[in-house]
Amino acid sequence: MKILVVEDSSSMRAYLSTIIEGGSESYDLEIVEASSGFEALKSLPHHKFDAILTDINMPDINGLELVSFLKNHPVYSKIPIMVISTESSEEDRKRASALGAEEYLVKPFESGELVDKLRRLLRVA
Amino acid sequence: MTRDDDRARQEFTGEAEELLDSLSRDLAELESQGKDVRPELVNKIFRSVHSLKGLAGMLGFSGIAELSHNLEDMLDKLRMGKIAIDRDLVDLLYDSVDSLNRLLLAINDPAVAALVDVTKLTSRIHLMASRQPQQKETDVLAALTLDEHTRRSLTEYEEHRLVENVRTGKHILMLEVTFAFVDFDEQLRAITATLSESGEVISTLPSLDATGGAGISFRLLYGSTLNEQAAAAIAPQAKVSDLRVAPLSVAPPPPATEHDEEELSLRSMSPTVRVDIARLDHVMNIVGELIIEKTQLDNVTRSLAPQQSRALLQELTKIARNLDRKLNDLQRSVVEIRMVPIGQIYARLSRTVRKLARELNKEIELVLRGEDTELDKVMIEELTDPLMHIIRNALDHGIEPAEERRKKGKAAVGRVTLNAYQQGSSVVIDVRDDGRGIDPKGIRDAAVKRGLITSDEDVDAQRAYELLFAPGFSTASAVSEISGRGVGLDVVKRNIQQLKGTIDVLSEPGAGTTFRIILPITLAIIQALIVRAGGEKFAIPLASVEESLRIYSRDIRTVERREVFTLRESTLPLLRLADAFGMQDGHDEPPDTKHFIVLTRAGEKSIGLLVDALVRQQEIVIKAIGERLKSVPGIAGATEIGESEIVLVIDVASLIESFGGRARETRAAANR
Repeated sequence: MKILVVEDSSSMRAYLSTIIEGGSESYDLEIVEASSGFEALKSLPHHKFDAILTDINMPDINGLELVSFLKNHPVYSKIPIMVISTESSEEDRKRASALGAEEYLVKPFESGELVDKLRRLLRVA
Repeated sequence: MTRDDDRARQEFTGEAEELLDSLSRDLAELESQGKDVRPELVNKIFRSVHSLKGLAGMLGFSGIAELSHNLEDMLDKLRMGKIAIDRDLVDLLYDSVDSLNRLLLAINDPAVAALVDVTKLTSRIHLMASRQPQQKETDVLAALTLDEHTRRSLTEYEEHRLVENVRTGKHILMLEVTFAFVDFDEQLRAITATLSESGEVISTLPSLDATGGAGISFRLLYGSTLNEQAAAAIAPQAKVSDLRVAPLSVAPPPPATEHDEEELSLRSMSPTVRVDIARLDHVMNIVGELIIEKTQLDNVTRSLAPQQSRALLQELTKIARNLDRKLNDLQRSVVEIRMVPIGQIYARLSRTVRKLARELNKEIELVLRGEDTELDKVMIEELTDPLMHIIRNALDHGIEPAEERRKKGKAAVGRVTLNAYQQGSSVVIDVRDDGRGIDPKGIRDAAVKRGLITSDEDVDAQRAYELLFAPGFSTASAVSEISGRGVGLDVVKRNIQQLKGTIDVLSEPGAGTTFRIILPITLAIIQALIVRAGGEKFAIPLASVEESLRIYSRDIRTVERREVFTLRESTLPLLRLADAFGMQDGHDEPPDTKHFIVLTRAGEKSIGLLVDALVRQQEIVIKAIGERLKSVPGIAGATEIGESEIVLVIDVASLIESFGGRARETRAAANR
């Protein structure tokens, strides 16, 4: 399983990756990290991602714009997306699901919550 | 997992510091923009606080998380235009950044934790956030032919910015661009930077290559003073369309706005990595050890000299020389990596000055110069507190109240100037105020009262400056809240000395005071003069050495039971280096005994060190020494100068401190 984590904060990326790796005993996992929407776009042709986790508030292109791009793309639209953002972005959360993001996770979250939602997203037991 | 958790925690402190530093800079910028605050800047401030909150919340730093959460709510209203920017708000933001900094310190220091109370601050933030909304947004987007796809991809904030642009009569344009996949990010940043000069790029939406090729297209939603044609002219690669149902009839001319710095700084930030300073220390240690290895290679080469063939020797010498050059390069690069501009702490200093000036009810102008001057990262960190203290002193004791200044015919606004510049392998930092200056008589009285000196001692300016740095001295009649904090200039001096630096003071009564701090650029690797005294070798940092001379015993005179030497018509106090460390007594030696004087200087004072021989000059790496020697004055540490040969490194400043030196421009011997 290959997962793209898009997050501009390096410590948050480290934290997310740590949790994801910790909860992946039952499946093979490779994490690709992107620190911006641009980096995420650039990484797309080089990997075949099984899921994408993205923050909303980021410089250059934000999470919603990334979701919009992905969900309107003939190839990438099938990749399930989990948007991770804070409770203050309630309105943006609605917009993300309207754009077709499959999952939503509110910061701060319990690590178990992330692991469960990711499993659901990846359809693994 | 736990180790990775630690990694995240460590990253957190570093990243949080960076966020707070950038916040401070942005606040200064916000303040300087006055009424015309750029929305990008407000949004950047919001994003910094937002990131901080997210990080702190995840990693369980609840204090920081809670405060930044409250702050974020307020900033969200600010960027959405629901509350206005004014003086109170800027002050509140500064205070909040202060508290966040303290909370960050408190993570590692329980003593600080006890001191941080944000209750009051929090209620101020709530109060500010609940201020009357500026105005209600009406659905002005109906005036646009904005396609559903783009509209749905806008975040709440972007939507607000769009509304604002419509409301203020800007042209709302859609620019479609297509770039090759390999460099779309650079292209896009370039065009965004150009467009930002005359407007605001509200949203950047990627889509499939509109031309059917293998590239990627973007739709830029752009609010601008430029009309369709003018925008097409500055962005010739874009397909431009006006989204207004009823376009503005007259296009205002594009105003010449300043360059979008935020955009630039975003770009310049991206190619950097953050490295734990401990790792750099480790690399530095390896470089140091390599240098020692190289010295040994030199030694071996020298010892081979008489027996080996010339060709072999030449070859070896050449290799040694090349190695030497490469090592120098390596060393210089590692030192450069550790360098950061002193401007990094300027933002913090100006914040403190603002706050103090308000508390003291004095008007102060802080002038900061030489912000690009670079110093070792570790030194910059250690420098903040001493600088803060000196500035506090200047504000508290130096600068007079406005009324008093007016009477003296001075400008009512007091001025504190901080100037940093490089001088050889040192960095000089001057903190100058144009206040009342230091009055030797006042110092004398205070010192007598505190029992530091007897009432019959004469105090000239030089002595007064010395007393200022004496433990237990404070001129304020009561320990004031500002300069107080239980710390005196003696601690400042000790801090600076720990950095192998010196601090001096120069004052002109009535006109002002200058504190001058001189620091080595780095502590890691230095040039040293190796000398021999009393059968032992010592290393003297070359930065402290002015010159060395050869003399005979008969040239040494004794004045007031102290050995001196007359150098160019002035009297130089001498110190037998061996004596200083109790290795030798009795000076009854024949008058033609040869000596060397190493003339050393620390700040404004000098002393001649009497040694038996000069051995050589070489690079050394100073290592810390054991507890037993730590209390011996005059020793900075130890170093390895060749095959397991350990020598002590002299700390000239503390040596002069303990044994007295001669002040520059005066001819009398030291007064202790």
